[in-house]
Amino acid sequence: MKAEMTPAAIALLLLLAALLVHDATARGKNKRLLVVEIAVFALGGTLIVFPEIARRLAHLVGIGRGVDFVLYPLVIWLVRESLLSRQRRYEDDRRMTELVRALAIRNATHRVAWESTNVARESDHLADLGERLRDGRYS
Amino acid sequence: MKRLAILMPAFDEGERLTRTLAELAGVSKSCGISVSITVILVDDASDTPVDFALAAKTLHDVHLVFARHVLNLGQGAALETARRLALSLDPSFDAFVTMDADGQHAPADVLALADSIFQGADIALGDRFGGASNTPASRRLLLHLARAFERWTTGLRLSDAHNGLRGFSRRAMEQMRLRQNRMAHATEITHWVARHLSSRGTAPKLTVVEVPVSIRYTEASLAKGQRATGALAILADLVRAFFFGDQREAR
Repeated sequence: MKAEMTPAAIALLLLLAALLVHDATARGKNKRLLVVEIAVFALGGTLIVFPEIARRLAHLVGIGRGVDFVLYPLVIWLVRESLLSRQRRYEDDRRMTELVRALAIRNATHRVAWESTNVARESDHLADLGERLRDGRYS
Repeated sequence: MKRLAILMPAFDEGERLTRTLAELAGVSKSCGISVSITVILVDDASDTPVDFALAAKTLHDVHLVFARHVLNLGQGAALETARRLALSLDPSFDAFVTMDADGQHAPADVLALADSIFQGADIALGDRFGGASNTPASRRLLLHLARAFERWTTGLRLSDAHNGLRGFSRRAMEQMRLRQNRMAHATEITHWVARHLSSRGTAPKLTVVEVPVSIRYTEASLAKGQRATGALAILADLVRAFFFGDQREAR
């Protein structure tokens, strides 16, 4: 099998190398993720340099082009990933709403108006508001 | 004495809120001792926070419960916070009315809705086309489209689909939990109402009435209010909830 170093292949390889250098220097301590990245990039690089591999695999399963053999699963995976992340964001929004609401209710203040004289009193305890309104002390 | 809770979400209303509260205080005087009014005000993280002391002073002899979201969540979320606050008080209120803070809604209409609830209705919906509202033509068109959408999706024939003035009885309020944080809560409420018009299982049938109200449109309220593109955002929110919302919760 012959290596096909077209200008496009060289550009893509340079991009992979640049990304790898950037991540290796910038990521810091997470070595495990870097190892995964190197493995995935190595596979991708091989497919770029030897397109014949993808081509043969594609023909084997009845797909026209080698590139499509790589792209189809990639697109499916990306769509799924996008849906899952939307769902996660929706759930996170719901959680945040409950958090903000709980905080608001916990910190709620109230003032009971004393109708006859218009004297306002403040209290921090919401629990006794209902009681006061009920026994009519302030209304 | 009947007890009325007014649920009022507020976001960046400033002067308009103060005027609305002052009007409420004025109306409260006129209805004397027959109704005790409590405003449940929820500040949805306004850029200039609502001044609690000023609000309390403005309200005179109207009781005030005040809560503030630390992050802006939207009108639906603020309404839900107000609802839970209102229900957390014991004994609870006899009627609950939702009202906008920007001065669009007349306090007299709030009392009219409350009265329908006191008379035994579970849900009282404001109908701006029945009252003396100066609804602009563009808004009118949008509302009729919304109404058609509601009728198509729920089979519910309402005169005014998306009016912020709504009254609820205690049992209706206890059942109605809002999950739509932003403007789609209006559609959520209509759908909820439609589902409870007939008795389902053990849940009792709820009665609905429409009450004519006068909405006052001003330049400020129109500028801040819903735009036509808002309808698309609402649809997007509804679709999101349909696909990602917890189906067990939604029933």
